[in-house]
This record gives sequence, C-alpha cells and structure tokens, in this order.
Amino acid sequence: MLTAQSSLGIIFFPAFDWAISPTHPEREERLLYTQDQFREEGIFDIEGIREYRPLVAEEKDIMRAHFCFPSVQSVCTDSHFISAGGVIRAAQLVMQKERQRAFAVVRPPGHHAMRTVHGSRGFCNINIEAVMIEWIREHYGNLRVAVVDTDCHHGDGTQDIYWHDPDVLFISLHQDGRTLYPGTGFPSESGGPKALGRTINVPMPPRTSDEGYLMTVERIVMPILDHFKPDLIINSAGQDNHFSDPITNMNFTAQGYAKLTQMLKPDIAVLEGGYAIKGALPYVNLGISLALAGVDFSAVQEPDLDREKIREQKSTIDYLSALCDQLPDIYFNPRPSEAVRENGYFVRRRSIYYDTDDITETQVERLKDCPHCPGLLIVESETAKTPKSLGLHVPVQGCDMCSQEAEERFVKSRQAGFAHAQISDRVTKRYEYAK
Amino acid sequence: MLIGIDVGGTHTDGVCIRDGRVEAMAKVPTDHDNLLATITEALRAILKDCKSAEIRTINLSTTLSTNAIVTGHTEKVGMFVIPGPGIDANAYALGNQYHILSGCVDHRGAISAKVRVDQIRPMAARCREEGIRVYGVVGKFCTRNPEQETAIAEALAPQSDFVTQGHRVSESLNFGRRISTVYYNSAVWRTFNAFADALEQSLKDLNIQADINIVKADGGTMPLKLAREIPVQSIFSGPAASVMGILSTSPVTEDALILDIGGTTTDMAVLLDGVPLLERDGISIGEHPTLVRALKVESIGIGGDSFISSRDGQLRVGPDRHGPCMAAGGPAPALMDAMNVLGHAAFGDRERSAKGIKEVAMIQGLSARECAEQAVSLAMDILKKRVSAFLTAINARPVYTIQEILEDRVVRPASILVIGGPAVAMVPLLEETFGLPVVAPRHAEVANAIGACLTRPTQSLVLTVDTSRGSFTVPGLGIHKTVKRTYTLEEAVHDATTLLRAELDRQGIPAEDGDIQVIQADAFNMVEGHYTIGRNIRVRCQMRPGVITTLAS
Repeated sequence: MLTAQSSLGIIFFPAFDWAISPTHPEREERLLYTQDQFREEGIFDIEGIREYRPLVAEEKDIMRAHFCFPSVQSVCTDSHFISAGGVIRAAQLVMQKERQRAFAVVRPPGHHAMRTVHGSRGFCNINIEAVMIEWIREHYGNLRVAVVDTDCHHGDGTQDIYWHDPDVLFISLHQDGRTLYPGTGFPSESGGPKALGRTINVPMPPRTSDEGYLMTVERIVMPILDHFKPDLIINSAGQDNHFSDPITNMNFTAQGYAKLTQMLKPDIAVLEGGYAIKGALPYVNLGISLALAGVDFSAVQEPDLDREKIREQKSTIDYLSALCDQLPDIYFNPRPSEAVRENGYFVRRRSIYYDTDDITETQVERLKDCPHCPGLLIVESETAKTPKSLGLHVPVQGCDMCSQEAEERFVKSRQAGFAHAQISDRVTKRYEYAK
Repeated sequence: MLIGIDVGGTHTDGVCIRDGRVEAMAKVPTDHDNLLATITEALRAILKDCKSAEIRTINLSTTLSTNAIVTGHTEKVGMFVIPGPGIDANAYALGNQYHILSGCVDHRGAISAKVRVDQIRPMAARCREEGIRVYGVVGKFCTRNPEQETAIAEALAPQSDFVTQGHRVSESLNFGRRISTVYYNSAVWRTFNAFADALEQSLKDLNIQADINIVKADGGTMPLKLAREIPVQSIFSGPAASVMGILSTSPVTEDALILDIGGTTTDMAVLLDGVPLLERDGISIGEHPTLVRALKVESIGIGGDSFISSRDGQLRVGPDRHGPCMAAGGPAPALMDAMNVLGHAAFGDRERSAKGIKEVAMIQGLSARECAEQAVSLAMDILKKRVSAFLTAINARPVYTIQEILEDRVVRPASILVIGGPAVAMVPLLEETFGLPVVAPRHAEVANAIGACLTRPTQSLVLTVDTSRGSFTVPGLGIHKTVKRTYTLEEAVHDATTLLRAELDRQGIPAEDGDIQVIQADAFNMVEGHYTIGRNIRVRCQMRPGVITTLAS
C-alpha cells in the first residue's frame, strides 16, 4: 500500500459538459485522459491522497479580484463559478489544515484574466488563482503569497492583478514573448511603483528542456522565494511547456514537471493551460500529483519519450545561464520606477485585446500615491459594447483615507458619467455595483 | 419455487418462496469447516415442507471465498504484470512469484511497447519449480486492449490449471485494484470449484434440478457457471443479502437508510430512490482494495451485545462485545440488557439483565434505570453521529459535470428500514433519535436468506469507441472490433444495451425493458490541430440491482 508523505487533496473537475467551442482546445475532452490515467493508476487509493468536489464561487468571491463589466454574470458561465470554486476548495483544505497540500485540476483556466474583465482572453475569463488568494486573505488576513506561474504563456493576467501589490510576489517562467502569445513578460516588467521587484519575468527560449528549465527554477526562483519568505506558495501549473504541446514550442517532460514541483513545494497547485491532452496532461498531472504528495514518481514517463531528441542545445543553456545571473537582481535591487505621475496618481493608459472574444478595451488606470498604503486603484474602462465604466479597488492593505475616497467616487459615479461602476473595498469588505 | 440460502457467521438461514410467499424456513448452525454439510442440512430442512422437483432456482450467499482469504487458506498464485511507465508496480506486489514484464499499453489502448513473451520463460520456470498451478496476468489499460494479457496467458497455459486475465475480472480502470482482484480470484479458484462440484453432486443426491446462482457483494447474483470463472465476485456478499432482504420485504422508492443491527455491529447502507448505492470502485480485502463491485456498507460498533462498562468514571457502550448479553446467558451487561431494564424489550432472562446493569450503575452512582437510560442514549448518539458522517461522505462524493454540481442531488433518507435481532425492540428509540419513520419488515430473522432468494442477477457492461482509430471495445465480453468513423453515441447506447440483453439471454436471465439502465453515455470530440478527428464514446450500462419480486403482504 502506497502512502503519501504529505497529505494531498485533489479537486478534479473536468467540466465534462462545457467547452468554448466544439473544436476549441479548451473543450470537454481536455481532462478526459487525465481522469483515465488517475483512475488506472489508482491515485486515490494512495493513503493520504483524497479527491474533493469543488465549491461554487459566489459573485463577491469574483469581485474581490476583478472588475467585471457590465456585471459578473455577463462574463462568467457556470463553469467559471465552479472552476473558481474548485481552487477556493483547494485553499480551504490547506488553510483549515485538512490537507497539507492541494492540487486543483479544474477547467477553464484563468491566468490571462486581468483585473478588469469584459470577456475571455487566452481562454480565460476569471483569474482563478487571484480569486483564491483574495478569498484566503479575506478569511485569514493579509498573508504574504508567492505565485510561481509555470505555464508556457506569460501569466499577464495575474501580473496585472498583483502589479501594485507588495505582498504578492509574482514570478512567471514562460516561453519568450517574442515567440508566443500574449507577447509580454519581459524582465523590464517588474512591478508597479509601489511594488517594485515584486514581479519577476523569466522569458525562456523555445525548445528549453528539463535541464534548462530546472536550472532556471533553482537559480532564479528558489533564492527569491527563500528571501521573500511567503506564507503560501501557489503554483500556476500550466502544462503546455510539454514537448508534445500543439500550441507552444518547449521541450519539458512529465519528469521535469514532477522535479520542479518537488523543488518548489507549493502549498497549492492550480492547473492552468496545457493542450496536449492525450500525450502530456495524463502524465504531467500524475507526476505533479505524486510529487506534491511526496510519493515516488521516478517511473512516470510518457510512452513516446525520446530524451535525446528533445535535449536543448548548448547555446540555449548558455543563454539561460546568463539570465540566471542577471534576473535575481530585479528582485534584490529593483530599479527606480519610471511610472507616469499626474496629480498625486500614477497613471497607465492602455488598450487591451481579448483574443478569444475579439473585444478591444480602452483603459485608464490610476493608482493613488498614498503615503499610508499601496493606494486606491481607479480604473476607467470602455469597449465598443460596454460604455464608460468605473472600477474602484481598495487593497487589502488599504487605509481609511483610500477607503473613504473610493466611497465618495462610487456614490458620484453616475453624475460623473459612468454607465457602470463597481467598488471592491477590501478594508470594509464591500463588493457592489452602483444601481 | 425459489430457494435462498445465506451462510452467516453463526447461523445458516434458508427460505423457500413460491408466488411471493414464504413456504418454508430453516435455521441451522454454520459449520465453517464443512459448509457443504451446513447447506445440505438447511436444504433438507426446507425440503420437509416443499417438493424438490418444483425447485427452479437456488440462490446461495456463501462465505466460502471470504473465509478462504481471511484465514489464509488460499492457493499460491504466479502473477505476471505489464505495467509500462507510471506508479511503480512493485507497490502492488502480491505473493512471492510476482513478475514485472516489459510492454506498455497507453490510455487509448495503443501498444507503445511490445511485451516479449519469451521474457517470461525463466519466471515461469521458477513458478513451475514451486509447484504453482494457477496464474494471474494483468496489464495496465488492458481493458482498452487485452492483446498483451492474452498472449502471456496463452504462454502460461501449458503449465496452468487456471489463468485469470485482468480484463475479464472488471471493466473498470484501476491497475492496482485489478492486480489484487486477479490475484484473489486465482487464489480461491480451486477451493470454489471444488465446492461447486460438491454442491452440484449434493443437489443431484437431493433430486434437485435447479439453476444455481451465487450472490455477489453488489446485491446481485451470478450463475454458478460464471462464478466458477470469477469466484472472487462472491466475497463479502453477506451485507448485500441483508440489504436485498429488506428490499424484498418492504419495497421502497424513495431515499432510505438501512440498518442491520446485529449482536456486535450495525451495518448501514443507503437507498437512492429505492436503489441501493454502490461503492465507487470496489470492496477491499484486508489492506488490498479490489475492483469487486459492492454495495456501500459501513459498520458501526454498536449492537445488541455491545458491552456496557464504566471506565475512568465514564459510562461506555461498545464497540467490543464480551459474549452475548446477560439476558442470553452472557458474562457481562450489554445494550440488550439495558433495553430489557427499560422495558423496550422482553428478551431472555430479564432478571439477569437487571443484575448486570445494577452492577455498572453502582460504580456510576446511578440507579439501574438511570444507568440503562444513559447507556441506551449513548448508543443512539453513536449511531446518529456515524450515520450522519456516512451521509455527509456520500453527499460529498466527487462529480464531474456542471449539471451535477448545480443539481446537487443530496441523499436525504425519508425513512429507516431495520433488521436484525435487536431491531424490533429499537424501533421507537430509532424513531425518536432520527425523527424519521422506522420500519422493521416481517421475517426479519431470515431476511438475509429472503434477500438471497429474491435478488436478481446483475451484470454490467462498458463499451468504449474511438472513432478516429475505428476501435470498438467491450472488454467484459471480449469484443474488440472496428467501426466506421461516423459511428454515433446513439448507436453506442443501442449496441451496449443490445449486447447486455443478449448476454443476459445467453445466461438465461430474464430482463424487462426497465431493468437495463444506462449509467453513463458520453461522447467527446477528439481534436488534433484544429480538426475534429473523431469521437471518444463511453457507454456503461447495467442490469439494475433489485429484487425479482417482493413478498406478498
């Protein structure tokens, strides 16, 4: 009888009745073979590994992390509420100490969903990690959290949500944005003016395999984590770095993912992308689960693996080695902010494209340069479909003054010409739309 | 005329039922060293009241295989497994001739590494030297493609009396469980077949020409001929017989809780819309989980003989039993004695009950009545807590579709059905404790035998189709063929139910239209690049567990 060294809760929710469209990669079939593999391997017969069903997230859970325009219901299907509820369940298991670790193997994924949501970007509507982290901070106080995003795509949504948050460290390892969607995630993106060095981006060259990937984790991620000393480590465990993934160009393996997990020791792992649903997901999910539980994973291997064929070239290793030398400096010695200041606010003017839903959003983001807290966040947002909308977010570390200003702006939002307005005050726990 | 026999731990019960009426009953002590003699004795007792020529069917629930396993009287098995990559197959090793072969079948049923039949030669030689005559062959994902298993089984045939192949014991996925299921199947094969031979001879001697069925743990029966191939399916069928006994004496169509209150323990089970709930994967044999389908039954350490004591100044009830209750001549006060003192029951020697309870009461500084009251209420509390935890666990079981999550079908018993010795006396107490109507069916004393008698055969079938590969697989029936790319889910549902019906016909099992139940019917588009290359279709259907008829009221 096999026994887990760390008790593990797996929330397996394949959403067998939901798809973006019949031939879309994010479809019903996606976790089918993972379920087959889990069942055939008898993973839930291992002493200490248990399966749990997801909760259903509530609107306020979503509103803690997002501005949804015109409403939460308009951008979330039932499957999004359940997927978000699945990661909340994972957090609950760990926070209530029912399990030492948890793995939310749920879909749809979420790490491209930014603070403001008008629809789907990169198959994501709701940032399920952010929803979970904010649920944790609502119920257990302001913990220091590290999110390590190992999806092959840059976790631009998570980066956006935590851009101004000094208590959430966001590290994304991904295929170089010059070669892959969403085209962002460069070392220069290192956090907002109040959270400098709290965002670390590691762009990796195409065809990086186990050696290069694990070296990067060891030399960049681990020292930063050791220094940051988070209360919780979250792994956005996207599985599309796999050598067989159809929409990316990396050469990572199931063994690599398992070793990464063993090194990182995340408290909670959350499945993100990964669309080699027959050749990669069953093996990678198995490897990660066993590694999380501290069960021997050395015999987990893809049937068609040819190590020599996917090994990285020396030039790739050399390039990564140079990155490993330079990147930690972004965290340890952040450069001064180049943010634009206008009347006591830091301002970003942006246009955001929602590729899955073909929406273009125009956005002005203002962060109050508050002397007492990370500052009130004010977002003005507009699309061809949704007229001018206002989002007000008082951070969990927020002060009374910011809270008060948010309230005043919220009350006057109609007069100020906004069609929709949402307030998310983490201090007063007020999550509402203007009527 | 139907006969049902339930071989229990203490007694073996038999009933004869004709047209929904009990015509004869028998109760004889079980001789575990000679089950056949016990069964024959029960049959003889029944035959006093009914004619052997009129017996059409005999359903038997026996502890034979279970005992063989529990007492370690099993045969040595040579195991050959084909794991491929994954969890280390050594974790599932059983017996000292456990051999891991190369070769690999992936989750689609594609062979990604060929098993080398010549590889087994030295291993097979070692098994021969040890005198091993029964074998088990198990491949990972063999239910998707049994080719490699069959090749190894054929290679072992010359030196074996019997080989169990993984894909024949269950259609479900779970490699580790399949290994233990196959192992135990081969380990009890000879014992079971020797018993079956003797049983058939004995029936001939009694002039009985009837179909013989064996009760399974899932609350169904299987023909003896099939049981000879898969004897492991007959393990732990006792609790199933009692659940089916309740179903056949008091028909239920709603959610209900079943409590079988015995001397030492109370077994609980649940009916969902009147249909008993099954374990998701299968029952465990000791530390080894298997794929043997079983009703979901859990035991609570509370029964009529639960020992009442005062330890560390605290009154306790159960979970241990120190022989029968004092009213029945036992050495120590038990729950039934407390019931006697309170007037809930009038069982055996009530004066002995009073004496026993008084002794405990003195230590506690209570009157006998107070002490009995506290003991009974303690027992009810334990029952209530355990039932509630049982239901919570059932209601928390994982589901995999949005619809299921949103519907959230919660099991909420509307009534409680009780059987077992102390059950009748406890009815008012249980009603008060649970706030639900409690029913004790008639013939509770031989409910297990009635259950065995009236229980229907069950059979399930899984059909998987991959239209991109054109593969059509029904592992349970050994069907592996090709289909055209346009094959649909509707065709699959039709084929699966037709195949199951044909198989039931072949086994001479009558099935009406409503008896065959489709429990899963899914079709997943399989996409490669941006094109749909086919559909992955999975259909699972079963003969609904149930009873042939209910007793006439």
